Amino acid sequence: MNCKHLLALALVAPALALAQGKPSDPQIAHIVVTANQIDIDAGKLARSHTKNKEVRGFAQQMITDHTAVNKQAAALAKKLGVKPEDNDTSKALKKDAQANVANLKKLKDGQFDKAYIDHEVTYHEQVLDAIDKVLVPGAQNAELKGLIEKVRPAIATHLEHAKHVQADLGKK
Amino acid sequence: MKFVPERVEVAAGDRITWTNRDIVPHTVTAAAAGMESGELAQGRSWTTVARKKGEVDYICRLHPVMHGTLIVR
Repeated sequence: MNCKHLLALALVAPALALAQGKPSDPQIAHIVVTANQIDIDAGKLARSHTKNKEVRGFAQQMITDHTAVNKQAAALAKKLGVKPEDNDTSKALKKDAQANVANLKKLKDGQFDKAYIDHEVTYHEQVLDAIDKVLVPGAQNAELKGLIEKVRPAIATHLEHAKHVQADLGKK
Repeated sequence: MKFVPERVEVAAGDRITWTNRDIVPHTVTAAAAGMESGELAQGRSWTTVARKKGEVDYICRLHPVMHGTLIVR
């Protein structure tokens, strides 16, 4: 039995397990904003910590794109009169993010880069899964559903980009 | 996330406009050909005139996985 592997699975699973329930539109809006903010924060940490040009470029892209998405999400919520509502999925996402940041802050250079990118790969896989299984099917309002559908290609591209950086880091 | 169509053929002297219909910013960049739109936010457009005949491969500087080809006849 590989205990290390089990621990990693246990860390990844909670946010998604909680996402299985059917969130309301205000909760979905909150999850979207939270998920974006988490990646902006991780990106800012990486931008200031990494010495790797490719990792810095990726981190900057995360900051730019997720900031753009959150601006749209905030504007839509205002337009629709939806007040984002905190919920268990958002809380679980935040808790995972705090653990990730705490772990990253202990690392340096190559170890930092690898841990950051590995987590970004997992995170974007998780988010894509949540978009397909929970957020899009769950959103009642057509514009909210539309926004999430429009975000999906960006997340898929981020995942592709993260995997590319991950492969390059592995070569070193 | 891609350029649609990814390959476009035009005649020399044609004006080509790219419009960002995505939610995140993009660029149209071909450094070698001197093409650079700057960052285009959602809904913004950029127009250039195809002067030189040939094939230009371009990317989005922010998302280098996005590729496009402009063919000028």
